[in-house]
Amino acid sequence: MKKILELKNIYVGNEEIKILKNINFEVKKGEVLSIVGESGCGKSMTLRTIIKLLPKNIKILKGKILFNELDITEIQDMERIRGKEIGIIFQEPSSYLNPLFTIGNQIEEAIKNEKSKKLCKEKVFKILQEVGLPENVYYLYPHQLSGGMQQRAMIAMAIVNNPFLLLADEPTTALDVTTALGIINLLKNLVATHNLSVIFVTHDISLARFISDTIIVMYAGFIIEKGTSEEIYNQPLHPYTKKLINCLPEKYRKRERILTIEGEVPSLKNLPSGCPFSNRCDFKIDICEKYLPGEIKFENRIVRCFKYGNIVES
Amino acid sequence: MKIILKRLKKRNKLSYISFWIIIFLYLSALLADLISPYPYNKQFRDYPLCPPTRIHFFDYNRKFHLRPFVYEIRLVNPALNKYEIVKEKKCPIYFLVKGERRKILGLFYSDRYLFGTKEGKVFLFGTDIHGRDIFTRILYGARISLSIGIIGVSISFFLGFLIGGISGYFGGKIDNFLMRLVEIFMMFPSFYLMLSLRAVFPLNLSSFQIYLLIVIILSLIGWAGLARIIRGMVLSIKEEEYILAARALGLSTFRIIFKHIIPNTFSYTITAITLSIPGYILGESALSLLGLGIQEPYPSWGNMLSVCVGNLRVLSNAPWMLTPGFFIFLTIICFNFLGDGLRDVLDPKNW
Ligand SMILES: Nc1ncnc2c1ncn2[C@@H]1O[C@H](COP(=O)(O)OP(=O)(O)OP(=O)(O)O)[C@@H](O)[C@H]1O
Ligand SMILES: [Mg+2]
Repeated sequence: MKKILELKNIYVGNEEIKILKNINFEVKKGEVLSIVGESGCGKSMTLRTIIKLLPKNIKILKGKILFNELDITEIQDMERIRGKEIGIIFQEPSSYLNPLFTIGNQIEEAIKNEKSKKLCKEKVFKILQEVGLPENVYYLYPHQLSGGMQQRAMIAMAIVNNPFLLLADEPTTALDVTTALGIINLLKNLVATHNLSVIFVTHDISLARFISDTIIVMYAGFIIEKGTSEEIYNQPLHPYTKKLINCLPEKYRKRERILTIEGEVPSLKNLPSGCPFSNRCDFKIDICEKYLPGEIKFENRIVRCFKYGNIVES
Repeated sequence: MKIILKRLKKRNKLSYISFWIIIFLYLSALLADLISPYPYNKQFRDYPLCPPTRIHFFDYNRKFHLRPFVYEIRLVNPALNKYEIVKEKKCPIYFLVKGERRKILGLFYSDRYLFGTKEGKVFLFGTDIHGRDIFTRILYGARISLSIGIIGVSISFFLGFLIGGISGYFGGKIDNFLMRLVEIFMMFPSFYLMLSLRAVFPLNLSSFQIYLLIVIILSLIGWAGLARIIRGMVLSIKEEEYILAARALGLSTFRIIFKHIIPNTFSYTITAITLSIPGYILGESALSLLGLGIQEPYPSWGNMLSVCVGNLRVLSNAPWMLTPGFFIFLTIICFNFLGDGLRDVLDPKNW
């Protein structure tokens, strides 16, 4: 299948802090890719790198981002691509909607290449219906909607231009379970009807398994494992992924104590010279603290661990 | 606009009423040529400090007249400005009476006045020392006093938005430079700044030049504080997540500043606008009071009041000379109420 997006050897950060390190992955047309990982591992930064909306002090240091064969790192007028070819939705919908304007108004604003006001409005009503919102939402202000409805409105804004790629940054974290499932099902439908590619960021690996074809596990700014969702869930390779899956509540019976991963994520400012997970790892060997493991490829899987081979990151 | 008014009516009656009073005042100022019974500089030498004329429907014999009338009055004691009513002489009030020719709204000439008498005089608010009708002069004075507020506020808000917006959005060196400039303006106590700015210019300017000068001086004083506040608001709003979302939608910088950032300052700035208009009216009055403002014979509320200051005879014998003060008060109160109401109404969270 056709590649929509490819990140090659991406480094993001500044002189003091390296947030993303050697990120490589690709997204095919119609594929749903999930990025999972603990808080602060750089999931949101990866998405913000793709639409080039990084904080002021953070830059793309190295690498290429090919979007439909166009290198995004080199183009100046990202406005052409944002919103039109790549849509994005965020974790906290209430703060990402402008409180002063009605939902209809804001969706209309998102619409590109539609001059006639009437057609614009029709398009809004159509998209509202598609994301499962009643028509009167057009006239409502963000604070008059529930969280789930706000997220649906955000989704409407993100897909109204029929983008190739949708970036979803923990879109269900702020919602309760049933509302969240509604949003997930909506996203799944949209993937099917619009032939949309999605990068779905979450810290919930079972949710990732449910929604996506491929899962990427990140740790301290590295991709440490990548594979299809079933592979990752059923046969995790990296010790971190294994522990992550062992922590899932559904793996336990009633009254059993849930295991947690002991130790702390190292701070990005002073990462150890070796593997960033070495201080928490049960399979640690000498080399782990000295060298950074490189990416080891098995067919379509990638893992970054000395357990599976002695490849050192250059 | 309509929606805002509707909400104002529902939520805050007082400010809704104030809104209409303000509209009424501005309309009267605009139509001063049409409403006033006399030209603004017409001196009735026989009627200095004449008290307000009473308009009657019943005469001394308790007889009802459908057409209202006034009694003729006569100065009996020039030293004490005592007036006496001439009971025999009833002067009915007519609409569209003939008088001196004057230009209306700068467009055409007419010798008709909206209302007046054929004999006798109607001074609704009395006359001043020179026998000029205070009602007329308040109407014309409103043109100065009320427009100074609007124009001054527009200039200082334009500057405030521009400087504050640039400063806040772009930050860095530009911000630093502009804010130091603002601080220089804010350093001086505004009253002295006003006086010294006025002192830079010669005294013998034409009325229009003085008018412009006052507007400029007052807005130069007003913009600095505003720019600072708007800068602060822009600074915090541009970090809001909905601005990030707007950028993620691919909107242009221009659109983001003017559609998303500036409107989010409105709940503050529109209130601030209404609340700062009184400052301009008072500023003009203060300058006029010191004889540095609009010069006679052209009236402004400030220079009409300045005659009363330090003149006890006027204050005790002719309190109607203070009517411009009442109108200044009314305007300020109304703007304050309106500002209060708008603050509530402009925030969508309050609907
Ligand atoms: N402006 C900044 N300057 C320096 N470091 C930053 C800046 N913004 C974020 N970071 C760092 O980048 C790292 C990655 O942040 P990111 O928001 O991508 O985490 P995340 O994986 O999305 O976490 P979460 O699950 O909490 O959303 C964090 O450790 C954070 O400390
Ligand atoms: Mg995040």
